[in-house]
Order: sequence, then C-alpha cells, then structure tokens
Amino acid sequence: MEGKIIVVTSGKGGVGKTTATACIGAAMAMQGKKVAVIDMDIGLRNLDVVMGLENRIVFNIVDLARSRCKIQQAAIKDRRIDNLFLIPASQSDNKDSLTPEDIVRLSKGLRGRFDYIFMDCPAGIERGFENAVAAADEALVVCTPEVSSVRDADRIIGLLYAKSITPKLIVNRIVPEMVEKGDMLSHEDVVEVLSIDLIGLVKMDDKVVVSTNTGTPLVLQKDSEAGKAFHRIARRLNGQPNLPIENPYNAKGFWRSLGRKLRHRN
Amino acid sequence: MFNDFFSKFFGRQGSKEAAKKRLKFALVYDKLEISDDLLNDLQRDVVEVISRYFEIDTTAMKLDIKRSDDLSALVFNTPILSAKRK
Ligand SMILES: Nc1ncnc2c1ncn2[C@@H]1O[C@H](COP(=O)(O)OP(=O)(O)OP(=O)(O)O)[C@@H](O)[C@H]1O
Ligand SMILES: [Mg+2]
Repeated sequence: MEGKIIVVTSGKGGVGKTTATACIGAAMAMQGKKVAVIDMDIGLRNLDVVMGLENRIVFNIVDLARSRCKIQQAAIKDRRIDNLFLIPASQSDNKDSLTPEDIVRLSKGLRGRFDYIFMDCPAGIERGFENAVAAADEALVVCTPEVSSVRDADRIIGLLYAKSITPKLIVNRIVPEMVEKGDMLSHEDVVEVLSIDLIGLVKMDDKVVVSTNTGTPLVLQKDSEAGKAFHRIARRLNGQPNLPIENPYNAKGFWRSLGRKLRHRN
Repeated sequence: MFNDFFSKFFGRQGSKEAAKKRLKFALVYDKLEISDDLLNDLQRDVVEVISRYFEIDTTAMKLDIKRSDDLSALVFNTPILSAKRK
C-alpha cells in the first residue's frame, strides 16, 4: 500500500480549508478508503473540534515528529465513520516546531498505513505552508468568490507550481442568488482568472455551521448541499475524475424553478 | 426573479464586473513586483557575466527596476574600467 498525500490550502484564512479537509476526508473514508486527516495548523488547532474529536486527543503531530509516540497512538479513530483517523495539531507549540524535513520523514510511515492522507494547511505562505506541502503529491486550493481570496489563491498556485504540484480548485461559499444577480464572481470567472482545473463547487450552506456546532460530520447529513458537494469531490479524487461538476446557478436552474412555480400554480 | 432576468438583458451590471476587473489588475500588478532577494540574485549573476568581458567598478554599479504606468524596465548602470582581451 502506498498512500497519497493531498494538501488542502488557500493562502487566505477562513475560506474553508478545515471544513473541506474534514468533509472530503470523511467522505473518502465512507467510500471505503483508509483516511488520515492531519491538522497542520500548529498552535491554532481546529480540525479536532470541526470533527467532534477534541476530547479524545492524547498525542499530536509534534509528538509524532519528535518520536514521542507511534502513528497508531497519535491517530484518533472516528467512531461514527469507519476508516477515518485524525492526527491533531499541538496547541502549545508554533509553526517552527516542525520542519519540512520532519514531515517528509513522517510521510513514509503515513503512506504505508493509509490510502489517503489529507493535510489541513494553515493560512499564510510561511513555515506552516512549507510544512504542509513538504510531502504532498497533490494539492487542493480552496477559495471563495471574492477578490482577496482569489488573489491569494493565485499566489498559492504559483508557489505550488514552483514545487511541481498542479493543484485543483474548490470554489467554496457560493451564493447562487448573488451570482445570478451579478453581485458575486461566478466559478467561471474564478477559473478564467486562475486558469486551473476545477474539482468542485460548494454552496454557502447553514448546515456547515450547524455541523460544526455539534461536531457531527456534515457528510453524514443527507440533506446538506455542501455535504453532497464534498462527497462528489471525494469521488473525483477517488477514481472518478470525470464525474460532472454541476452548475449551482445555471440557466436551466432558472427555467426549472420557473417551470416548477408555474406547475404549482396550476 | 424576474427583476434579475430583466436586469441581465437590459444591461444592469452587478458588482461582480468591478470585482473581476480589479482582480485582473491586482494579479498583473502582483506579478510585476520584484522581491529584494530576487533583485540581489540577479545583480550577482549579471555582475558575474559582465565581469567575464569587462573590468567593472562593482561599487559604483546600480541595478534598478523603473516603472511607469504601462511598462517596467530593468536598468543596469555600471562604469566600465576596461575591456578584457581574450
Ligand atoms: N460552504 C460553507 N457554507 C457555510 N459556511 C462555511 C462554508 N465553508 C466554511 N464555512 C464557515 O466558514 C468559516 C471558516 O471555515 P474554515 O475554518 O473551514 O476555514 P479555514 O480556511 O480552515 O480557516 P483558517 O484559515 O482560519 O484555518 C467557518 O465558520 C465555517 O463554518
Ligand atoms: Mg483552518
């Protein structure tokens, strides 16, 4: 077994990296793969609470890098989703507590133990980013349809290319009504500007906040649009690269909803 | 719904057009910016190459980026002390 390491990154903070890591990791595990999600945001850990595993932490990634524990000890097993494991960040250290070499060294053992390893990258382009991408085979860049976020994504994409990684793009927090009104960049606009391949579109969804409040995996909620979008992203990563990306706000949607309204009137 | 529909056809532009224009501009500008590190490396390399052909006064030379509205230029200024004979 030779696992694949995928870094989830963005440049700008607060655009949905942690949410995406938790959701795609969980969805991938539900598809039968053995998955580790690793919180690389040393000093500001979040992935544990988003996944609802915060009170089961014993060891963390820094302990692992310092050989204070084994992978089996650091990896917390999710009890709701089989094959899903979290390696948390340490909260008391900082980004300089790890080096890219540490991560490269650790990656061997991780690849041997898991099918997919997702690295939740911190915001920024400094050491935390360098650590998170150090051993990555692939990268997912998350951005929202906003000027500042797309600009930072462009910067990150440049840095990834310099490391010979060709990233794929997730546009998150799309508000279809605003796009239809012309008050939000569409994913076509974003793709045109960044000129990289898209791997998924995620709408703004209140269920994200609800699931984070309770620490229950979004991808287990059948009625969550964002959850479904993350399931499809996982499938695209996991052997179905050509699964179509549906447009959240196309003309068809307009005619369909108009049609629905007319039908209801009759 | 119908308002949006009509506005699309009768040319009301939403704020996204502004967003897109500003974004494209910002990205072009970002790429013109050159870091000090890069400039220092470039200076070192240029000096090395020129020194193969000329004796130059490395204390008096200057490497700069001159920027105007629509172009940026690399300006390298150095006194030549003598040409090297091969
Ligand atoms: N599709 C979505 N719909 C609604 N809310 C979302 C969505 N995606 C993310 N959020 C919310 O946005 C906020 C930021 O998300 P998240 O923590 O995943 O971002 P991040 O990129 O990891 O941030 P940081 O840079 O601080 O690590 C959270 O409150 C999250 O619940
Ligand atoms: Mg985060």
